Amino acid sequence: MLAMDQGVVEDWLSEYKTLHESAVSTYAASLKDKGVLVPALYKVIRENYSDFLEPVCHQLFEFYRSGEPQLQRFTLQFLPELLWSLLSASAARDPHTSGCIEALLLGIYNLEIVDKDGQSKILSFTVPSLSKPSVYHEPSAIGSIALTEGALANHGLSRVVYSGPHLQRETFTAQNRFDVLTFLLLCYNAALSYMTATSLQSICQLSSRVCICGYPRQQIRRYKGISTRLTVTSEFLVQLITGIHYALCNGEVELGSKALDDVLYRAQLELFPEALLVGNAIKSSLHGAALKSNNKEGARSIQVEITPTSSRISRNAVTSLSIRGHRWKRHDAVDLGSPDELMDISEVDEGVWPGGMGPDMTPPTITISNSVTTLNLGAKAMKKCRLGGRTNKDKEAGPLTMGRAASECAELSVKRLTLTSSQSVPKAGALTSLTRTASAVFSRSFEQVVSSNAPPTSNHTASEVGRYSCSLQEDGLGYFSPAVNHKQQRSPSISVHLGSDL
Amino acid sequence: MTARKSGSRLETEIERCRSESQWDKIPELVRQLSAKLIANDDLGELLLGECKLQTYLKENPLKQGASPRGPRPKLVEVRKHLTAALDRGNLKADYLQEVSLLMAKLCYVEGEYRDALGHYSRVNLDDLQLGGAPVYRLSMIAEAYATKGLCLEKVPAASPSLSNKNTGSPSSNRSTTDRDQEIINCYEKSGDIALLYLQEAEKALSAGIQNRSPKPGPTAQDLELGYFLETGLQRAHVIHFKNGNLTQGVGRFREILRAVENRTTQSLRMTIARQLAEILLRGMCEQSYWSPLEDPPTVSPLDDPTRQGHTRTKNYSLSRRPRVYSGENLFCPQENTEEALLLLLISESMANRDAVLSRIPEHNNDRIISLQSASVVYDLLTIALGRRGQYEMLSECLERAMKFAFEEFHLWYQLALSLMAAGKSARAVKVLKECIRLKPDDPTIPLLAVKLCIGPLHWLDEGECFGKIVIDMGEKAAEFRAKGFLAIGLVYSLKATDASLRSTQEEYQRKALGAFQRAQSLSPTDHLAAFYLALQLAVSRQIPEALGYVRQALQLQGDDVHSLHLLALLLSAQKHYHDALNIIEMALSEYPENFNLLYTKVKLESMCRGPEEALLTCKHMLQIWKSFYNLTNPSDSGRGSSLLDRALADRRQLNAMTLPDFSDPDTGGLLDANTLGFSSMFSVCSVHATSIAASRVEQALSEVASSLQSSAPKHGPMHPWMTLAQIWLHAAEVYTGMSKPAEASACTQEASNLFPTSHNVLYMRGQIAELRGNIDEAKRWYEEALSINPTHVKTMQRLGLILHQLQRYSLSEKVLRDAVQVNSTAHDVWNSLGEVLQAQGNAAAATECFLTALELEASSPILPFTIIPRAL
Repeated sequence: MLAMDQGVVEDWLSEYKTLHESAVSTYAASLKDKGVLVPALYKVIRENYSDFLEPVCHQLFEFYRSGEPQLQRFTLQFLPELLWSLLSASAARDPHTSGCIEALLLGIYNLEIVDKDGQSKILSFTVPSLSKPSVYHEPSAIGSIALTEGALANHGLSRVVYSGPHLQRETFTAQNRFDVLTFLLLCYNAALSYMTATSLQSICQLSSRVCICGYPRQQIRRYKGISTRLTVTSEFLVQLITGIHYALCNGEVELGSKALDDVLYRAQLELFPEALLVGNAIKSSLHGAALKSNNKEGARSIQVEITPTSSRISRNAVTSLSIRGHRWKRHDAVDLGSPDELMDISEVDEGVWPGGMGPDMTPPTITISNSVTTLNLGAKAMKKCRLGGRTNKDKEAGPLTMGRAASECAELSVKRLTLTSSQSVPKAGALTSLTRTASAVFSRSFEQVVSSNAPPTSNHTASEVGRYSCSLQEDGLGYFSPAVNHKQQRSPSISVHLGSDL
Repeated sequence: MTARKSGSRLETEIERCRSESQWDKIPELVRQLSAKLIANDDLGELLLGECKLQTYLKENPLKQGASPRGPRPKLVEVRKHLTAALDRGNLKADYLQEVSLLMAKLCYVEGEYRDALGHYSRVNLDDLQLGGAPVYRLSMIAEAYATKGLCLEKVPAASPSLSNKNTGSPSSNRSTTDRDQEIINCYEKSGDIALLYLQEAEKALSAGIQNRSPKPGPTAQDLELGYFLETGLQRAHVIHFKNGNLTQGVGRFREILRAVENRTTQSLRMTIARQLAEILLRGMCEQSYWSPLEDPPTVSPLDDPTRQGHTRTKNYSLSRRPRVYSGENLFCPQENTEEALLLLLISESMANRDAVLSRIPEHNNDRIISLQSASVVYDLLTIALGRRGQYEMLSECLERAMKFAFEEFHLWYQLALSLMAAGKSARAVKVLKECIRLKPDDPTIPLLAVKLCIGPLHWLDEGECFGKIVIDMGEKAAEFRAKGFLAIGLVYSLKATDASLRSTQEEYQRKALGAFQRAQSLSPTDHLAAFYLALQLAVSRQIPEALGYVRQALQLQGDDVHSLHLLALLLSAQKHYHDALNIIEMALSEYPENFNLLYTKVKLESMCRGPEEALLTCKHMLQIWKSFYNLTNPSDSGRGSSLLDRALADRRQLNAMTLPDFSDPDTGGLLDANTLGFSSMFSVCSVHATSIAASRVEQALSEVASSLQSSAPKHGPMHPWMTLAQIWLHAAEVYTGMSKPAEASACTQEASNLFPTSHNVLYMRGQIAELRGNIDEAKRWYEEALSINPTHVKTMQRLGLILHQLQRYSLSEKVLRDAVQVNSTAHDVWNSLGEVLQAQGNAAAATECFLTALELEASSPILPFTIIPRAL
């Protein structure tokens, strides 16, 4: 360590102690201008045996404890370097050197896991849901929300805890080490925008080293430090990836992509799905984006261009949207001449746009009533009922307003429809026949919408449906009795009877 | 058009055509118009000029980034029309303004930027009325602002005639900033008015559809944004980002997105939503975030520091602004991940709608486009949700991506990984199979599948297949080859444990040993290979060899908990109980909350230090359990009602579950009066029957909640309850060892409350009955235990003994022989078998049994080696 650096660090150590409380914030702001200080502190942390290490760690902790955001960020910028010191020392089984670093890290951890009142802090966030209006959208315009179990569970906005509550820790043990470090990285990542380039480089280096030490790749990277393998956890890697991602997009292209590769390499060897998932996604999403390296002009690789606003997909391609508006032929009719007819998909979704929806239109309601039914089809039966329910509703509102609102379920049944349609009416047989029946009902009743001269639904179908206690078909059909007025904005009510075993 | 349209009707029709850009109808309408009144001629000129200019632009669209191409012969006519309209000056003020705007646009198209600006300064764009204006005029004004911005960008700042009002200012730097600001203002105003225009146009359109009789042909063709509107909508934020002005760029994005969408803006919104999400995920963090309804911070680390201080707030206002989403209880994100997620969900729904389903070759390009735009969104969703640990939701999202996924490896793989991370193992394996098909050379994929097969699924046959895939790759698998051998070794090792026939058992053990040896030789620095080799050797009772490898493993990874545990068990097999206890205590200093270590500690303590110590450890375990799983989440952390459902479902499962085998029955330790307050143990962790139902739901809730976000070692939600029951059973065992049936029975009752049908609980009840001298009752309990788990060796051994006491020798022999078949290393079973045979007078066979028992006892660990988990 050079004498000059030593002087700088000594000054820094003494200056803060003499500081008056009121002067803290101006002092914090002035730290940025001390160009030589930060590199000198990095040196202190890197040289494990430096005499300064202990007072420096102490002072960094004092900074953190002050609560002044700028001082806290000053401490945080050294976090990657501190983590590396700790991990390499513990891998080298060299306990006495890392003592004060351990104390500093545990100190920060214990400060961060509690809120102002000393209660365990719980970090949570709201999972947005498209079914609730937001500043950016209206649920009616989104339409297609799949009626999956998950979607139903998520119907409202739900708050989800992503970290916490955490236990206070007095020492590092092999068991808690990565819990603590993962949480510390979470704090670091929350302040990423304030971190200097050096700190971002440092987190990339940390990631690379943690992941490759002791593995064959270490030779490729020519890193000569410790060569023992460090244990990692998947969550820890995910947090590292978050930091790398930021670095990668904010000037540190080379180090960042190397680090990302190394983390992915390790995640593969460890078979960590979480880290692989996020890492792959980052790699793939950056694949097209040309990343600029760290030049003065565009330190950030966030650049946008003017993009054409018209849809780039040709109008006659069959898309999930267009297929919903498709007028299906009567499938029980034998006159399905050529198979080409199935390909003959006309776009009928003009005017489907929900903007045309009158404000007075009542949304369709789905009543789910619990009643004891004879049939014991369980959850599957209910699903089918839902299928039927959706298709019915879809049909009713279809060409008018709700074309987009068709659910994935409806799509599913629509696909099924094409598959089964070319065959003859299926034999009754357990569940498949239910779907087929439902499809048949669907197609028949849809015909009624399309052409009002269609024959009334045969009793045969109705009774078959009845067997599965899906009263909705009959209800639904009521709406499609011969003359269907497209302008009519009635809300279809669909009641689904659930078996008692659900 | 047979009937002449009345004047006002005609005007309306013209207005509609202009609004809907139906330029081909204009000439005919102009003819009708001129026929009515000569004074209309000027208006006719205007209309013809406009219609020709627009038609020209439609046929020769301007390209982004390319400059206009200078004068064109076709445009001469346009200029003629417009000049005519302008020169005569008969037009109403409104129309005159329109002529000027068109003139300026024409000038721009011809590359005459200064002239264009001259026209704009004459009209003064800011004075144009937005309220009450016909729809087409909104579009004109929006285009005019955009064109003005474009011209200002083209014309060098220095030229005095063009800069804004305070031209005289000599300080060029200042005027450049003002100018930059003026350019941005032009674009932003243009964008705002364009959004307003599109909203109004659509309103008019849908009103028109309803009023007019249905007419043939496509009615609602999409409004197309021309070059100018596109520029107006997007150029402002492009400039912001180019200048490193993230705060303002983000602000502009949000303004556009908050405007109520319409058909034309959809694709733009999708792009912008995705871009904003990218920025939120790549360039922002929690601390630098501000919510869409808040004012941006004055100083932000997001902005280029060299330009700091130029942050300005919006300094213009419009008399009419586009409608924004409004209403009560609008969700407004409060955090960057929330906003990113919301935006991505919106983009996703749009991208999903555009999924091209047909696979005919003509639509190849369309399919690629729709796939690309969707996979970008899904990647970003993965980043956002992965950061927050929401793998369950992620797997649902990625499942929706499957309509794009035909033969697309990336999407399949991501789905598989998300299912795995969400704990949906069975489905994950199915999807991984498809991934293997798509990318047969990647050894990671089958390894991931093996991991699931030997972990949560226990599908050993499938696991074997996947393991073989890796091994068959040979050298190609490189570093993963060793992992492949490790995986298949684990499969065999687990199969050996499951096997009920001794021969199969030995066969699998041999195979496992071979595989571990291969793994170890291929990757000598992998501690896992050395460790599993040691474990397998230990299971086959090759204690000294096992000790060698476990030492090797510990050299490679000094603080590996399983290696330490194995070392302790190996030492206990050599009857070095004190050394073993020391190792366990050392391991516990690093892993204080590891219950497996603690169970072994209880055993060792009752052996070396007496049952009081062991009871203290039991109490300690209960305390740990409580602090571990009792961290209550005050917030409603879960996903609403489904969480409750899940917890209730768990409880139903609870009764049906059985505890895994956890310990050997025989404790040599004999009793002293216990000094421990029995009740103190209950006070630590009382889960009495009365309160248990309520607290259990509560506990399960928090457990499920925490398992949702942490994906660490994935245990089912049952895990904590099984742990608790095991702790109670260990305590019961210590009490039986001390001949304290009452206390033991109370402990067993606690376990029984959790798992009433566990064979371990029934077995313990039998032991207690035996202790009380109730042979018949004990026999009944043992029989019940065996009816639940017919291969429970410890129960079989006790039952054999009782039958022996009841002098039903041949039945006893049968039970004990079965037990030996199941586990040939259980020395006490051999011993009991010997006794029965002796009683039957079969001395020779009895001797052999005693010798085997003796030999096995010499290498028997305090707890079976198989309590150490085997996982990849």
